[in-house]
Parts: sequence; C-alpha cells; structure tokens
Amino acid sequence: MENRLKKMADAARSALRGASDLEELEETRIEYLGRSGILRELQQGIRDVAEELRPRVGKLINRTRQELEKIVEERRRELEEQQVYERAEENRIDVTLPGRSGYIAGRHPLMATLDDMLEIFLGLGYNIAEGPEVENYYYGFEALNYPPDHPAMDEQMTFYLGENTLLRSQTSTVQIRVMEQQKPPVRVVVPGRCFRRDTVDATHSHTFHQLEGLCVDEGITMADLKGTLIAFGRGMFGEDTRVRFRPDFFPFTEPSAEFAVSCFACRGEGENCRVCKNSGWIELGGAGMVDPNVLANVGYDTERYTGFAFGVGIERFTMNRHGIPDMRLLYSGDMRMLRQF
Amino acid sequence: MRVPYSWLLDYIDTDISAEDMAEVLTMGGLEVEEIDNWASADGEATDQVLITSVTSNRGDLLSMTGVARHAAALLDCDFTLPDCTMPRGGEPERAEHELTQGDSQITIEDLEGCPRYSALRLVGVEVRESPQWMAHRLEAAGARPIDNMVDVTNYVLWELGQPLHAFDHKLLVNGHIIVRRAESGEKLMTIDGVARELTENDLVIADEKGAIALAGVMGGTDTEIRERTTDVLIESAHFDPTMVRRTAQRLGMASEASYRFERFVDPNLTLRALGRVARIIEQIDAGSVVGPAMDVRSEDFVRDPIVLRPARTNHLLGLELTTGEQVEMLALLGLESEPEKTPAEPPEEELLHPYPDHRQALERLRVSVPTRRPDIEREVDLIEEIAIVYGYDTIPATLPRNTTGAGVRTRRQKLERRVSEIMRGAGLCENVTYSMMGACDLDFLDLAEDVDQRDALRLRSPAAENQELMRTTLLPGLLSAARYNVRQRVEEVALFEIGRIFVPLEVGLPEERQKLGAVCMGSARTSTWNLPDEYQEMDFYWLKGIMEQLCERLYIDDEVQFARSTHDSLHPGRAAQISVGRETVGDIGEISPAVQEAYDLPAPACVVELDLEILLSHARLLARYEPQPRLPAARRDLALVVDDDEKHTGQRLLNVTREAGGEFLERARIFDVYVDVERLGQGRKSVALSLSFRHPERTPTDEEVEEAMERITHRLRRKLDAEVRTW
Repeated sequence: MENRLKKMADAARSALRGASDLEELEETRIEYLGRSGILRELQQGIRDVAEELRPRVGKLINRTRQELEKIVEERRRELEEQQVYERAEENRIDVTLPGRSGYIAGRHPLMATLDDMLEIFLGLGYNIAEGPEVENYYYGFEALNYPPDHPAMDEQMTFYLGENTLLRSQTSTVQIRVMEQQKPPVRVVVPGRCFRRDTVDATHSHTFHQLEGLCVDEGITMADLKGTLIAFGRGMFGEDTRVRFRPDFFPFTEPSAEFAVSCFACRGEGENCRVCKNSGWIELGGAGMVDPNVLANVGYDTERYTGFAFGVGIERFTMNRHGIPDMRLLYSGDMRMLRQF
Repeated sequence: MRVPYSWLLDYIDTDISAEDMAEVLTMGGLEVEEIDNWASADGEATDQVLITSVTSNRGDLLSMTGVARHAAALLDCDFTLPDCTMPRGGEPERAEHELTQGDSQITIEDLEGCPRYSALRLVGVEVRESPQWMAHRLEAAGARPIDNMVDVTNYVLWELGQPLHAFDHKLLVNGHIIVRRAESGEKLMTIDGVARELTENDLVIADEKGAIALAGVMGGTDTEIRERTTDVLIESAHFDPTMVRRTAQRLGMASEASYRFERFVDPNLTLRALGRVARIIEQIDAGSVVGPAMDVRSEDFVRDPIVLRPARTNHLLGLELTTGEQVEMLALLGLESEPEKTPAEPPEEELLHPYPDHRQALERLRVSVPTRRPDIEREVDLIEEIAIVYGYDTIPATLPRNTTGAGVRTRRQKLERRVSEIMRGAGLCENVTYSMMGACDLDFLDLAEDVDQRDALRLRSPAAENQELMRTTLLPGLLSAARYNVRQRVEEVALFEIGRIFVPLEVGLPEERQKLGAVCMGSARTSTWNLPDEYQEMDFYWLKGIMEQLCERLYIDDEVQFARSTHDSLHPGRAAQISVGRETVGDIGEISPAVQEAYDLPAPACVVELDLEILLSHARLLARYEPQPRLPAARRDLALVVDDDEKHTGQRLLNVTREAGGEFLERARIFDVYVDVERLGQGRKSVALSLSFRHPERTPTDEEVEEAMERITHRLRRKLDAEVRTW
C-alpha cells in the first residue's frame, strides 16, 4: 500500500508539474485528486490495510493529498502567469497613440499675473476691493486732486460716455470709493480694467489692467511704502531683487515716485537683455504718499492719518515674464496661445 | 528736452561725466532717457546731449539753467547764473496795463491771459548769421539756427526757459502792441506758413491793424524778422498756461514756446531774459538797446512763505532729520527758510502725534518759495523737495505695523475664482476681451430692436472701428474670438470669459453686472482617433453638462432647470433658459444660422451666458457632507415609447415619474433616447429610464418596489400616453 501510494505520488507530481496548460492541469488534477480520482481509490483501499497500520497510512494519504494540492496551486499560478504574458500579445494596445482626455485649460496669463500679485498682498494683510469701470468726473479725476483742465482728462486721452461719465483711466478711482466707505485703517489692493484712448498696437492697448494698492493709517511713512514695494518685488521676482525709487509726479500723491525692479531676466546686469533693453531695470509703476487733498476729499483727518498708494501695470509685465511679443495677443482669444498657459 | 552737456557745465562747478550726471538727474526726478553722441552738421563740434523727460509739474526744468540749478542741488555744488543784468539805459519802466515809450506802445487788454508783458527795443540791428558757438549750441539742443536775431531769442529760451519773440518794429502799425482776445474769424498767417482762423478763446498779440502773433504759441509772418530788419522789439511775456494749451491744441500746433508756457514760466523771468538778450546782443555786436525796457504787469508776483514743520517731514518720510539739515536741503534748491516764533502753548492736537522728537514737534519754518516753482504750494510739497534732495534711495525701508489683520478674499471673490477653475478644468480657456463692442455686433447677434442688449452706452470718441458701444453682452467678444481663431485655421474653440456688462440707467452711472459667457465648437478632446463623433463634439449637451457640473461644484441646493426658450441669437429648436430656484440666470444654446453666418463660422457654435451675480447668490462656499446610504438600492429599468414632441420632453417624463414614484424612489434618470421610424413609427421616440429605489431606514420589499413601478407605469400611460415596457 505504501509503495503504491509512493509510486502514485511520484507519477502525480511529474504529471502535474509537467502540465503544459491550465486545461491539462485541471484534467490531471481530476485524475489524481478528483472525487473519483486515484487518490480517492487508494483511500478507499485503506480497509485492506492491517488495523495497526491504518493511522500511519491514513496520515500518509492526507499528507500526499496536501502536497499534491499545493503542487496544483503552484503550477496553476505558473501557468496563469504564463497565460497573461501570452495573451498580452493578443490584447496589446499601442501605448504610443495619443491620449484622448478632455482638455484642462490654464489661467489667462493676465489673470495669472494678478493672482501672483494678489497672493503677496493678501499675505501682507491687504483685502481685495473692486470698483466701477465707468466712473463720473468726480471719482475719475476731481477727487484724485487733478486740477481742472489737466491734459489727462482730455478727450484725446480719456474715453467719455457723456459730459460727466467716463471710463476710468486708472484703478486709483477706487481709492476714493474705498475710503468713502470705511474709516482708517485701510489696507486694500484693487485689481481691474482701465481704459485710455490709445491706438492699439504691439505695445499699446486702449484696455489694460492695473493693480492699485492703498494703505492709510496713523503713522504710515514713505519708508513703509518702500518696504512694502520691496516685499512685493522680492515676492514676485525672488529674494535677490532690488527695487529702485525715483521722483515722479502724480496729482494724487505727494511725494510721488516711480518704482522699478532689477530685471528678472538678466538679474539687473543689463547686458544683451531684451526684457529690460539693457537698462537692468523694469519699471513697474507709480507710487507715493497719498496727497493730503485726496484724504481731505474723503473726510479723513489729514493731520492724524497718512498713507501710501501705488499702481502696477499688468500687461507689459505679463508680456515680459512669458515672452509674449504683442499686447494684442492677450485680448485675441487665440486658442493656440491660450492652450500654452 | 535736449541738454548739451558742455552747455550745462557753463553754470555748474562739477567734473562728473555725462553718464554720471544722467544717473544723478534721473534719480533726482529728472529722467534722462538717453545720451546722444551729437556731432554738428559742419562736423566742427561734438557733444554729449542728455535727453530728458520732464514731468508736467516741473516747467522750471525746461532750460539749461533750470537743469543746472537742480543738478547743483543734487550734487551740492556751486551754481552760477549767466549775466542777466540790463545794460545801462535799459533799466525797466513799469506800468499797470498800458505803457508808451518813444514810438512804442504796449497795451494789455486781457490781464488774465497775459499778466505780464515786457519788451525791449533794439536798433541798429544787423541781421546776419549767428556766431558759430551759438549756432552749434542751438543745433545740439535741437533748434535750427536761422539768423542772429531769432537765434538770440532761441538761445535765451533754452538757457533760461523764457520764450521770447522778435518783431520787426517798423512793421508794427503805429508801433503799438496790443494783447487781446482774437475776434471770431480773425485770420493770421503764422510763421510756419499756415493761415489760421482764430476764435474768441485765442489770445493774440496784435497791432492796430490786426493779429500779428498767437500769444505764447507762434509769431506771424507779417512782422517777422527779415534780412532788411534794423529795428526790433523783443517780447518777453507771461501767458496763462491753460489759454496757451487750448489754443495750441485746437490748432494742432505745438512750439517750444507753447510747450513751456503750458507748463508755467516764471513770471519774474521776463526782465531777466531781456537783460540776457541785451548782454548777448552786446557781446556779438548785433545792435544796441534803446531803453528803458518796458514792463507792463498787473501784479508784483511775490509769494507768501509756506510753513513747514520739520517734525512733519520726519513723520511723513520715516526719517530723523534735524531741522538744520532740512533747512540746508531746502537752501540747496534756492528755498530760504527762517524759524517762526513758536507759540508758548502749542495747540493740543499737535502734541497728539507720535513725532519722534518732541522738541522738534514745536518747531516751524517759514519757507520762501521762488515764483519759478508753482508746484510748491503746501507743506507736503516742501517735504517732497527734501525727500528728493535727501535721495529716495536713501530713505529706509520698513513695513507698516499691521492693524488690519489677515487679508482675505470676499465670498464673491472666492466663488468667482472657483467658477474660473471649474470652467478651466472642464477644458475651456479663460479669455479676456475688450469691454467695447460695435453696433454691428448687435445686428450680427440678430437682436430685435426692443431687446435690452440694444440699449448700450456709446463712447463719444471710440478708439477703433466697431468699438463704439460698451458691451451689454459677452457674446460679441466670444464670437469674435471664435471668428479670429477660425481665420487662423483653428476650428476647435472653447473659450469662456468672466467680465462686466454695462446697463444704462435713467440717472447716474450704469449698472455693471458680472457675467459668465462661453463659446465652444469642434472637438472636446485632445485627440479623437477611433472615437465615434458623439464622443467628440462640444455640442449643446457638452456645454450643458458643464453648466450642470458648475452648479454642482458651487454646491447649489436650489433646483437648476433648463427650459426650452427662444432667444434672437440662438437656434429656435436648440436654446434653453437656465434657471436656479425661481430665478432666471441666463441662456444656453446653439447659435442660429444667421448668427453663424454673421460671424463667419464654419459650424454652429454653442454659447452660454449667465448672470454670475445671480448664480453665485445661490452658491455655497462649503460643501456639506451627506452620509453614504448603508442599505442597498433596488434598481429597475423602464423603457417608454412616446410621441416625439414638446409635451414629452425628458424633463416632463422624469417629473411624472418622480411624482408617481413615492417615498422609495430615490433617483430616476434617462440613459437612452432613440428615434427609429421603422421600429417605433413616425413621430415617436423611445426613452429608457433607470430607477433606483431606496429608503434611508429600511430596504424596500419587492412588493413595495413593484407597487411603485406599477404606479409609475400607470401614471406614464395615463398622463403621457406612453407605451411602457419594463424589465
């Protein structure tokens, strides 16, 4: 009996291990381990074995069954794995064909620039304010301390809708609206569209965007203005950015300054640089201490409160940082351009 | 202005290079745009010419001495004016508004337009070429040398900033200069050879016969210097900036004179300029002065001093300058200060402010400001001058104490950003278009005469064709962009814009409403190989799906509905009005064939336009979590064959189903629609619904589900005359 069992086990082992596909393996398994398989037959033959040997033979049969079942499992796994590889060829796809998803579109470059700037000022404690694009003369010019008859108010420069209505030529108009609505401390930035009667070409546009900033409180100084714009410059362009201030003139600030940052393309070296045209500097906008007349126009105590304001142009800077050669592209809706962002 | 560097060095004692000077001036508020390496036409002279850009408030920097004075203040070096004293016999005679002197007479009729008119008579004049040094300097400064008389006036203009004009005295009728308003229709031939017709708003210099010069702008040909001229009257006047500007602008003419008068010329410069003319004439031996100089003026042109609190300077600039330092800086600019006696008891409010130096808080300076600096009117203007001399770059950098807390976006701002993110995630590119549109766009959109969008604000002087109106809809910008892309042979367009439209109101400023608009046509996918067409196109249902997703992602609780509608610009069978809750938010649809043709598009684009403010009023910032159902749902499908008409819309089928479904019907949705004349018959369609039954607390029994199915099929048959098949 034991010999027969051993012989059978040897034959089963080699048959199972030699099964060349899953079908043959299953057939072989049934042949040996099935309900009426050889092992079962042997098991039934245990009645002919001497009483004292039965437990030993029984154990042996069980061990053999376990061993053979293990071999079946092993072989099945081997064969399955093999089959995946074989079928893989039949089911293969060309992984080099292009993907077929929907598009994921990016932020418009002007908006992306504004986002980056707003991020910095939110971090410095500024809220974001908005205001109308169509303004009246008072908010557009008068409250900003423009003398009557200032050339900026001319029909050549500013779009008029009527005697007293015009398209704002700068976001500074919102300074007045914000201060009328709230008492100091004031700390806001104003992103928005502005309009000037410019002929549209590669570097000019009658529609453009600005970011205006306004900070009014007790004890605000010109040094604070400088520190704020330096923080802004470094936030936008990196820690080694230098910021330059020089005198300028705006009706609504006194003292007034123009501010520029060291060119991010040539790191301010100014050699063979198309971005800064070899000056080493990129002019970002105008700034200054809010003119006392402006503070008085909104009813603030000009002795108690001082403040600063600044305005940054968005278009040129956006063109510079992305290498966009023509301002008109920004307003064209050109899918080929927009898909690049 | 062109500033020849060697000329500038006549007045200041410095040996720095032109490049360094350019840097100093630029950082001191006078921008030097470039340095021109100039050579004279005859090749005999070269110079470095600083090309400056002067801000509109600094007319005093429009001369060599003006620049030199500023440079000397910035460099803290000596500044010397040229000899402007009147030669003996030329000492001026003054009158209020009329003055006669020998055979010359001056009358100012318009003292507002001309507060001061000074003149000097030269006789024995020999008109000839200017000496070479003068011709070279003028050439370097950008003035064409003409003859010694004209050149002297130009030279002094560049040197001192006082525009001058030379008349041939013999050609003045009765030698009488009259400064008056022009008569309407009065004519004058200016020296540029153009006949000008004048109005009552123009200020002219006239003789007894008529206008001979446009005050502050240009002289006339009748009285100009010619070769035979021997007797000259030099005009040196102060004209009102606004009047000069209006005339120059109306006539489209700008001259060196008008450029300066518009920016204000020191009224106390008139006699000095004449003195300078006399000295140069003497020097080049071109004639002799017949004195005295005539000076007709309405006032003394003396300014009151301005009070400066040195502590305020420090308070505003964030500096700690002593009073003495401030006095010195002002002195460099020619501003004299003297301490004012401080009151024994200072007003209380002045002590409230946290000036760093309390003793300084009580000090006051009285600062005399010369008339050449009309831009300095107030204390703060003096503080700016101190800042400039101190150097903007030297001012320290600090951050303001934060008294406002964290910066945050408003709810609206956050939601608006989310809308942009969702639209972009859906594959539409963010677009920015102009806020203007053309009247033609309203026609292109096929809008009836009485629709609201026709009522648009009109620009008085538009910058470009077809941009004369403020937009009342975002569609023209989007469709024009689609057209632009098609012309570039890009036929796959997916754009959205968040922007304002302008609604005119009866009174006051227009209402500005934030809109969301989108246009799409062509394939929705990055590539489309092997895909059936319906998976590709950005059609109505694609755009509608995005709008539904948008509402989902804005966590809008109210019901979002699409109801068939008519819209002038949209295909009559493919347009819907979108509403949220009870509010209409906008329209979606395929553009009509007429609009497609007007915008020259190869395919019927789909568009949507929503009122973002209404939409966002229904939105929520935060999603609320709802627990997952723990019990399984029972699912049933239902196929209906119904008439293919307006009474049997998908929405209607769903509504009837839901009404009949009872408490266990959790969800009903359409998963298949088809039309097949052979199988279903003419005018019929098949709609397949998938229903799921669930109850939060218990699993509905088979009987309950069957009961509900029974109710639903019964209702669909009865109300909608549907053939119903279940499985």
